[in-house]
Amino acid sequence: MKAILGTTALSLSVLLGTTAFAQDTTFTINSFGGAYETAHRACIITPFEEETGVSVNVVTAYSADAFAQLRAQKDAPQFDVIHFSGGQEIVGAAEGLLAPIDAASLANAADLYDFAKANLARGEGPAYSIAAIGMIYNTDAVSPAPTQWTDLLNPEYSEHLVLTDISNGYGMLGFLMLNQSQGGDLNNIQPGLDAVAKLLEAGALIVSTSPEIQQEFAQNDAWIAPYASDYAFTLRKAGLPSGFAQGAEGTPASFITTNVVAGRPNTDLALKFVDMSISPEAQECFAEALRYSPTNSKAELSAEVAADVAYGEEGVAGLIRFDPAVIEANRAAWVEEWNKTIAR
Amino acid sequence: MVRAVPGWLHIVGIIFVALTALILLAPLIVVIGVSVSESQFIAFPPNGLSLRWYQEVLSSNAYLNAAWISIQIALLVTLMATAIGGAAAIAIHRRQLPFSDTLATVFLSPLVLPTIIYAIGMLMFWSSVFGPVTPLTLALSHTAIALPYVVRTTLAVLAESDPYLEEAARTMGANRLQRLWFVVVPQCFPGLAAGAFFAFNISFDEAVLSLFLRGPTLTTLPVQIYSQLEFSPDPSVAAVSTIMIALTIVLIFVIDRMLGLTRFASA
Amino acid sequence: MNDRTENLLLALPGILLLGLAFFLPIAQMLLLSISGPEGFTLAHFVRFLSDPYYLNILWRTVRLSVLITVICALIGFPLAYIMTKVGPKLRLGLVVIVILPLMTSVVVRTFGWMVLLSRSGIVPELLRDTGLVGRTFALMQTEAAIVIGMVQVLLPFMTLSILGVLTRIDGKLEEAARTMGCSFLQTIRTVVLPLALPGIVAGSLLCFTLSASSFVTPNLLGGTRIQVLAASIYKSVTATPDWPFAAAQAVILFVGILLVLVPYIKLTGAKHG
Repeated sequence: MKAILGTTALSLSVLLGTTAFAQDTTFTINSFGGAYETAHRACIITPFEEETGVSVNVVTAYSADAFAQLRAQKDAPQFDVIHFSGGQEIVGAAEGLLAPIDAASLANAADLYDFAKANLARGEGPAYSIAAIGMIYNTDAVSPAPTQWTDLLNPEYSEHLVLTDISNGYGMLGFLMLNQSQGGDLNNIQPGLDAVAKLLEAGALIVSTSPEIQQEFAQNDAWIAPYASDYAFTLRKAGLPSGFAQGAEGTPASFITTNVVAGRPNTDLALKFVDMSISPEAQECFAEALRYSPTNSKAELSAEVAADVAYGEEGVAGLIRFDPAVIEANRAAWVEEWNKTIAR
Repeated sequence: MVRAVPGWLHIVGIIFVALTALILLAPLIVVIGVSVSESQFIAFPPNGLSLRWYQEVLSSNAYLNAAWISIQIALLVTLMATAIGGAAAIAIHRRQLPFSDTLATVFLSPLVLPTIIYAIGMLMFWSSVFGPVTPLTLALSHTAIALPYVVRTTLAVLAESDPYLEEAARTMGANRLQRLWFVVVPQCFPGLAAGAFFAFNISFDEAVLSLFLRGPTLTTLPVQIYSQLEFSPDPSVAAVSTIMIALTIVLIFVIDRMLGLTRFASA
Repeated sequence: MNDRTENLLLALPGILLLGLAFFLPIAQMLLLSISGPEGFTLAHFVRFLSDPYYLNILWRTVRLSVLITVICALIGFPLAYIMTKVGPKLRLGLVVIVILPLMTSVVVRTFGWMVLLSRSGIVPELLRDTGLVGRTFALMQTEAAIVIGMVQVLLPFMTLSILGVLTRIDGKLEEAARTMGCSFLQTIRTVVLPLALPGIVAGSLLCFTLSASSFVTPNLLGGTRIQVLAASIYKSVTATPDWPFAAAQAVILFVGILLVLVPYIKLTGAKHG
């Protein structure tokens, strides 16, 4: 009988516990895993937790996945702040999933470059760092350094080329640039798909997350991969001979934005989080750790760091930005086409 | 008695069993090996020996939260599945309902239907009728797939029970509730207990329903491991996995004590 | 209260739970698979069945599931047979070896295979060292990886199904066959195998169903380029997200499984009975 009473008491406490953890008291954001998430914690999340005493629940989800979740949770959103690298904030804002931000409520907004805060009032959160997409390469194996995107098709590299799935935001931009270098554009991705098919035929590999790229370079003799500049630095830190080259056809940029989700109770905290993300300190920390370009004009980088990133308003403004609204409108169709192309 | 097996076949048999055992256990051994590695990369055989990844896990909020959610859900499932499944098994065993056979089939059906098919339905049905998925949703769906195990283990025990005990209790003046509580339930106990441990194990390890019904604040341990594997596997995944394997070993030991493993295996 | 009411009350919570958390969800899924913006539609099914890409996924799912089931049966039968012949201690040990992986989470087991099969993992290294395969040989992200991983995941189901039947066979039957001059292998073929058939059938059904509907192992071991139906369903639910199409794919999976299972049960049932 005692045992039964014990079980009942336990079960009741569990039931109560269940309802307690259903009404979420936590502050939930997404991050991108791997080295990015580590830096994200060190530069923004931990300082935020220390300052506000709130514990942050970090969900690892790339932009497209996070956006799909945000859409599915339309009636009961569960993220407080959501980060995108593929322009999903434009669609999210248009669909009313993201809350408009009053620039006056962010202490650091005044110091942002104009393009980084263009549509705050519409709900498109500020860009807090920028990644440039080019070619990461093994400096020992690839010589001379690649100079244009068409170099990816060099048959000498084909068994050592690593492509990234377009479910990954950087993978998408790298693919669109490859497509453009083959004569395609946002209305026609067939030239890009044809090139990818040819590359796969010749022995290229497809991965879908950043850490896999590192693994391929470290253990499996990968030489070259279209990806974000920060990753060349990550590889170098891991002791691999790697460099970053921009293609002559242009360098696409990925604006990483931090957005306030609409319909959540913690708007003030969310704004605080966004404000901390765009502070000069956070951006310097990010640039130091991962070599992302700051968007805050007050962020000062050491010469060593500055050499590795597009730095300053002009340097950053020169990057290409594929129209995120078009990407988002076509994403489902492109992903299906892509899957069909890469399927064995 | 004739000679059972030709000699050469005996040797082949030993090699065969050894190889099969190796295949069955290899992934588990590898996981345990990786978890004690010193290297920051996943490597087997492990380089060096250290418990740093266990430290990492025990200080990681993501893992601890996921483990806590998993434990709460698994306990709730254990309780619901045992109570509901046990009661149903008693009703089925008595065969007094006109549709007893159908009922048995109904209760075993979650065992036959692929979980993925039901997982989609659960996600779509609950989010359109009751709103967003909560931990209770996940617990209910786990209970549905754990029920058949409780029903089966309880039925197996009841099949060997003495049908006249209840009759005797009745003639001695016990009312319905008393008969149920003091005669039938104690008879079911080994089956209920084994079923309870299965229910716990099923819920705690379940990945498919948990993946479909996951949310930012509803991430169970297997889902956490799955996303780590997708994103950035490091040896800390191996450490968590090893802890889960250890828990399974404990459960198997307990079930063996309760019901006898060999008996269960050939049931 | 009479006996019937009592029993009904006992069964009721279970019926309610299964109704709410099992049968209604399945009904909802069936409904969604045939609903479009303008009511009833078969468009989702047409989309799937008219596209070679999806048909290829379906074909791969069936092909791999059959292969996995056959391998499981080929390993599972002798294993179960040996388990009935060894002493009780060794038998308990073997049962533990079979049940331990069965009760371990599928994500954990798959993780182990990811380590073993990765390009720098033990299995490809061994194969390379023995010179059986070339330098660029890889196992991860191949169908072979899926088969290896799934066989390990499903072998326990097959073994236990067969074991359950074998333990009930009267040992004297075998002895009788041997005294009447059958060789060991003849005894297996003419006595043990036919008697074990129900177990093999049950185990095969289970293995086929489970392997056709699993996506965790194929996703993690096969990678993005080798899709199976269940993985495609998961993608349609989470990534795209296109729920009606996901529901339609689930219905196709279910019907596909039934189409394979029903004749199989009839065939083996007829042969046996």
